[in-house]
Amino acid sequence: MNIHINGKAYSLGNEPQISVSSALTLHFIEPQQSTFAVALNGDFVGKAEYDNTMVKNGDSLDILQPIQGG
Amino acid sequence: MALNIYGENLDSRLLIGSALYPSPEVMKQAILASGSQVVTLSLKRQNPAEQSGQQIWRYLQEIIKQTNGHLLPNTAGCKTAKEAVTLAKMSREIFQTNWLKLEVIGDDYNLQPDPIELLNATEQLISEGFKVLPYCTDDLVLCQRLYDLGCEVIMPWASPIGTGKGLMNPYNLETIRLRLPDATLILDAGIGKPSDACMAMEMGYDGVLLNSAVALADNPVLMAKAFSQALQAGEQGYVAGIMEQRQTAHPSTPTLDTPFWHQS
Repeated sequence: MNIHINGKAYSLGNEPQISVSSALTLHFIEPQQSTFAVALNGDFVGKAEYDNTMVKNGDSLDILQPIQGG
Repeated sequence: MALNIYGENLDSRLLIGSALYPSPEVMKQAILASGSQVVTLSLKRQNPAEQSGQQIWRYLQEIIKQTNGHLLPNTAGCKTAKEAVTLAKMSREIFQTNWLKLEVIGDDYNLQPDPIELLNATEQLISEGFKVLPYCTDDLVLCQRLYDLGCEVIMPWASPIGTGKGLMNPYNLETIRLRLPDATLILDAGIGKPSDACMAMEMGYDGVLLNSAVALADNPVLMAKAFSQALQAGEQGYVAGIMEQRQTAHPSTPTLDTPFWHQS
């Protein structure tokens, strides 16, 4: 299965799906020490839903962090 | 006098952005010098391994703690109501605030807000408990619609974001103030000089939100102080009651019993 995280392609072999929690470990070095929020295919996924929400082939995950803004 | 934003009383009427400063330390010093208690920030895709976002986040947390202030997340970069609603929910989870500077851009050239998407997003967000501060054009009817939807605070632009052109259309801005006397009006975007901010306050605006005018100054810390004073001057001028303009000259000095000249 192929997914995108923040626009970057990841190929995950024959896995049919993985949880958002698992997908985060592909991107983060230490997720527990970071401040971030997640959207899956453009829809917000709350922290309480990371284990139950599944990422499937072709899905896009956005992981956003604080930045300066006007 | 205090600025009231959704029930919160703030000592300063200046809302300030956190972008474009020469360094995080200059950002911090400038924001502290401004006296502002509301700081805008945003969310962006980042590589967590780089940690740059985490550094800014730590600075902003320090500032908010030191000023007893509030974070005001924005939805910069969103072009549809759906994008803005998703970003708003992400911001709420991270920053633990219902306050939201709602931006939905309709044109890339002048970054003009899309009024249709803005109204749609506002309606959805208010139904989900957000306290929306919409960034909008200086269109009276749009501002009325936003107010009718439940926005206690409305933020028309002075001119396009980052231009520093000041108040492009003072008539529109004055009309919005006149027609929405109970709304909290914050002039947002396009401010270039302290006198621009002063002018807005003299019109009876409740506050000013700016970023580039301070961050891009040669001395951002000094400029932040200048804006703080300009807002105070403008507000006091408005409260004091500005004299009406007159078409003809009137001598300031009493002319009765003027000695010697022009007397027959």
